[in-house]
Amino acid sequence: MNKRIIFGALSVLFTIGMQAQDIVLKGKELFGNLEAREIGPALMSGRIIDLENHPTNSKIIYAGTAGGGVWKSSNGGASFAPVFDKHAQSIGVVTVDPNDPDNTVWVGTGEIWTRNSVSIGDGLYKSTDGGSNWKKMGFENSERISSIVVNPKNSNEVYVGVMGALWGDSEDRGVYKTTDGGTTWEKVLYVNEKTGANEVMMDPTDPNTLYAAMWEFRRTAWGFNSGGPNSALYKSTDAGKTWNKIHNGFPKGDLGRFAFAISPSSPKTVFAVVESKEDKGLYRSDDAGASWKLLNGDFGLVVRPFYFSRIVVHPTNPDIIVKGGLFGSISRDGGKTFKSLGNMHADIHDIVFDINNADAMFVGTDGGVYRSWDGGSTMDMVDNLPVSQFYHISVDNDEPYNIYGGLQDNGSWWGPSSSPGGIEARDWNRVGYGDGFRVLRHPSKRIIYSEMQGAQNVWRYDMDKNYTKNIQPLPIKGEADLRFNWNAPMATSSHQPDRFYMGSQFLHVSEDMGDNWKKISPDLTTNDPAKQDKESGGISVDKSGAETHTTIFTIAESPLDEKVIWVGTDDGNVQVTKDGGTTWTNTVANIQGLPKNTWVYHIEASTHNKGTAYAVFDGHASGDMNTYVYKTSNFGKTWKSIVTDDIIGFARNIQEDYVNEDLLYLGTEFGLFITIDGGKNWSRFTNKMPATAVHFIDLQKKTNDLVLGTHGRGVIIIDDISPLRQINQEVLAKDVHFFDTKPAIIKEEGGFGGGSTELQFVGDNPSASGKIIYYLKKRHTFGKMTLVIQDKDGNEVVSLVAGKAKGINIVDWNFRKKGPKVAAGKTFTFGGFTAPRASAGEYKVVLKKGKKEFTSSITLINDPKSSITNEERIAHQKTTKQLFDDMEDLAFLVYKIDQNVKKAEEVSEKDPASKKAADAAISELNKLKETLVVTTGDNYVAEAEPQLREKLSKLYGEVADQFEKPSFSQIENMGVYKTRLNEAKTAYEKINGKQVAKLNKYLEKAGATKTEILSKEEFLSK
Amino acid sequence: MNALKSILVALVLALSSSFYAQTADEIINNYFENTGGKDNWEKLEGIEMIGVMKMQNMEIPFEQVMTKDGKQVVTIELQGNRMVWSAFDGETSWQRNQMTMEAEKSDNEATENMKKQVKDFPDPFLNYKDKGYAVELIGKETVDGTETFKIKLTKDPVLVNGESVPSITHYYFDTENFVPIIVETEINEGEMKGKIVKSSISDYQEVNGVYFPFTVGSEFQTMNFKEIKLNPEVDTAVFAFPEKKEVKEKE
Repeated sequence: MNKRIIFGALSVLFTIGMQAQDIVLKGKELFGNLEAREIGPALMSGRIIDLENHPTNSKIIYAGTAGGGVWKSSNGGASFAPVFDKHAQSIGVVTVDPNDPDNTVWVGTGEIWTRNSVSIGDGLYKSTDGGSNWKKMGFENSERISSIVVNPKNSNEVYVGVMGALWGDSEDRGVYKTTDGGTTWEKVLYVNEKTGANEVMMDPTDPNTLYAAMWEFRRTAWGFNSGGPNSALYKSTDAGKTWNKIHNGFPKGDLGRFAFAISPSSPKTVFAVVESKEDKGLYRSDDAGASWKLLNGDFGLVVRPFYFSRIVVHPTNPDIIVKGGLFGSISRDGGKTFKSLGNMHADIHDIVFDINNADAMFVGTDGGVYRSWDGGSTMDMVDNLPVSQFYHISVDNDEPYNIYGGLQDNGSWWGPSSSPGGIEARDWNRVGYGDGFRVLRHPSKRIIYSEMQGAQNVWRYDMDKNYTKNIQPLPIKGEADLRFNWNAPMATSSHQPDRFYMGSQFLHVSEDMGDNWKKISPDLTTNDPAKQDKESGGISVDKSGAETHTTIFTIAESPLDEKVIWVGTDDGNVQVTKDGGTTWTNTVANIQGLPKNTWVYHIEASTHNKGTAYAVFDGHASGDMNTYVYKTSNFGKTWKSIVTDDIIGFARNIQEDYVNEDLLYLGTEFGLFITIDGGKNWSRFTNKMPATAVHFIDLQKKTNDLVLGTHGRGVIIIDDISPLRQINQEVLAKDVHFFDTKPAIIKEEGGFGGGSTELQFVGDNPSASGKIIYYLKKRHTFGKMTLVIQDKDGNEVVSLVAGKAKGINIVDWNFRKKGPKVAAGKTFTFGGFTAPRASAGEYKVVLKKGKKEFTSSITLINDPKSSITNEERIAHQKTTKQLFDDMEDLAFLVYKIDQNVKKAEEVSEKDPASKKAADAAISELNKLKETLVVTTGDNYVAEAEPQLREKLSKLYGEVADQFEKPSFSQIENMGVYKTRLNEAKTAYEKINGKQVAKLNKYLEKAGATKTEILSKEEFLSK
Repeated sequence: MNALKSILVALVLALSSSFYAQTADEIINNYFENTGGKDNWEKLEGIEMIGVMKMQNMEIPFEQVMTKDGKQVVTIELQGNRMVWSAFDGETSWQRNQMTMEAEKSDNEATENMKKQVKDFPDPFLNYKDKGYAVELIGKETVDGTETFKIKLTKDPVLVNGESVPSITHYYFDTENFVPIIVETEINEGEMKGKIVKSSISDYQEVNGVYFPFTVGSEFQTMNFKEIKLNPEVDTAVFAFPEKKEVKEKE
């Protein structure tokens, strides 16, 4: 066939196909410039995994975090900025290439301190421009990378330690080597599918000498095992070709995780902390690992090796050794004795010493980065790392609404979504100790429920009385012990405000805010004894309760019927009752394609339909990283998967939109995904939203704000998602579409905030402006585009900065009109920068794009909380307008004076004969001008005595900014300036009629041009 | 039908892989080709931009002049006062103190960094190799809802607090018409150090055969140009640092 015909046919087919198909926009194409805002908090920060400093520039420090990516400081740890937001946020290791430390940085993803709540990584990354851009260098399935070692003489030679999967077998584990900068990798040490490399190190003086700590470990949802016959410390002296165990002096039998360090200033001295049943502790070798001697088995050195296995030797002083631990330990005698580091957040994971100052060090903890300038004695926290790890969040209905949530090892908190001056550390209030999980506000009272791990405490906090009562359900006579999840579920009811639910293996309900409890279910779990391991930990027993399994994990009472309650369990049951708990049905067998016993992470009972619910399952704790989200419309009789390939990462939470049933928000391990068509297509939301794990989502009903509790980047809010509700095929087909917006409230607020220092994190407030929201089918790049607000009569009120992105654009209007023209003086007047506020009412929005014009409207309403009457508002507008006009009258008057003076000066210089007439005019005009505006001084302490402009501006600015009607003294004051202004006008006319007229007459005679003075209208529109 | 489908897929693949085959140089060449041609760009001796800067509540009229030999001046009008706000005459960089409204010289590093920027005129990408700049195509990325080529431009390092730091800017060129629509720069000083500032570029319009963006905006301010004049006549005196008057006016 003729090629041209094929192509013709194809293109026809293509167009038909296109027309028949729905318009599907993904990601940024859809969201345009709808953006998220991170509000922290940073006051308790979050878990730090690995710190890395630059070998020659002490100002540069990298911090790899548990769930918030990589942060870089370029000012010696004073402040940090995120440099890894687009990639997996769980970090195992950051390594700076010693040969090219300004530019080449490696990041291994996947946390290595393997607590129950750790996230996962997705490979190895390299930057060759100091963190601006990152390229993936493989190891997609590694899950956790513990070490990256670059040969200090050859950047192309790099070793990578893969610790590997936590919840399953993996052949990706082991030590890898590249000799071509990461293009190809060779596995040089592999033990088995259960044993990974948790530390790889190179002798700083001999790149052929390597040490590798191999660790056998495994986690399940109900237990943890550290150690086994395959854990061992290996050494290679031939650049990784062959490896030998170096255990001469170590205890025999099964071993656990090794901490390992080489003394940088004397590399024959090496240290190892050995996890063992017998003779555990710190071992020292002074012959490069050939033999070992036990020095010390203190608690601080051997506690929880899976969580603390970092030992660091001072770069220049081999006697100073620091070990991570519950409090961190420091030795100044080569490891013989230790004491704790100074007071700071507990759980110390990594330490780096300053390269220049022997007394300075940085420490990574469960609560952020700390710095010390006195050898670890006193510790100072970095206040701008908002990497807090929420397990759960909720919101209330206050204005502004508050966010409640619990944090990994950082208690429970509540704080506002908006606060004068931004959301500062001091705006957050503590409402629980220990690990924080779920925090709920009573639906109508100023009461907060919160808890700590395993429901060891469940608190009911009275916000007004500052009083706490412990209310957890307790086992009763003749019944089983209660099993509470580490992250125990609680729920309130939208039907009965005092009702409060808690889940153990049973569902408990209280009708009096937790004072008394009733059990309303049998054991809803599988109650599988094999999953009720009481001796978790392996070689080191680790009984924290974190592994309690076969428990209820999620509770949802239907907002449409209080008798309908859903319960999901961590061992995979989806239970529903339609009679308030009398009978229960396990519906999980009705779900197709879901592996048995997959953890039910969340059930969302629909607000649209009683029988509708969504269930999110998370199998990661059994090594299954797939996404499972199902919907039922018939109380669980049938379930349908709503997952597509668009979704990345296993999911933990879903939020249904209250208005549009097809609009759903899904939180996964790698971010937020949104569907506008009930799950047929999903889009990842990435506008100012890092790829962090979203553990819980709530939707605030009044503001339509989507509030995300992330496990690594604190609380992230997308303000007002209502435009997403309005998107449909018709909208997407239009060039420009204006979305309906609620009337904008002109809030009558004005307070003080700002108690933070320059280096403290402050979360942005939502914009209080009116919003013009529209969709553009295509980004506006060529030709003119403007966005103007007009009054009813089509007069321009103000011109705004138009959004031009493809997708959704949000343009703020702060309700201000154009400011006045201000009289020219030597300095500024601050009142003169004030623009009057538009009054309530409807305004036209005119968007011009090339020759096309699109219009919409925006309605402004007064603050419903205001007590100002309509008459008072009219009086305020009137006075503001009068003062505005006086400002412009004065500006015009001064302009006329200036024009005449300018002309007179020109003439006088050119034509000596004119001097007499010119000087007379100049002198009189300047005399007048000096009473109108300041002509000397500066804007600070050399300020001149204020003249009419300064006084009038101040009054105008004050009146324009206030909402109330002007006070009598303001009116009187206005009268004074009005009189002066009128007098000045008269005075000018007098001069104009005399000295200026004389000069003009002279000019006329001399054939020169007269002074050019614009009309007032021309002047004002100039 | 299935066969047709697979041909279609193949075509789409061919199309997208041909896009990937674009090199940074091709993209930059296309950019100049689409905005008036390299010859026209090279002929430019000076540019004057007249417009309004929008900042919070303020609209500040301004004029900016840049010349091929690196001189530049920004004149603004604030409350009826027209004044040179900042300028550089090739040797001395200066700006007005906001308290006294007097001219003050920039610190030596700012001046040195200004000197390094002289080569940028009229566009840093124009003959970038001769300028000693480097470009790198990072890949495709969607910004402002639009598919773009992300190009990294590395210019001469700048001095910041005694330290030489790399000068890196990322430009996002629209894949449809090869003009930059977003530029990202990193703040390299102060407590905001390390944060990225994103500028949005739009409203490209032709001026005597060369296309310029008439709107450039960031989260801090937006500049709308009303008029762009090519090769303007400028009195070179405006660039120079005004030496202080000997006697201060009496109050």
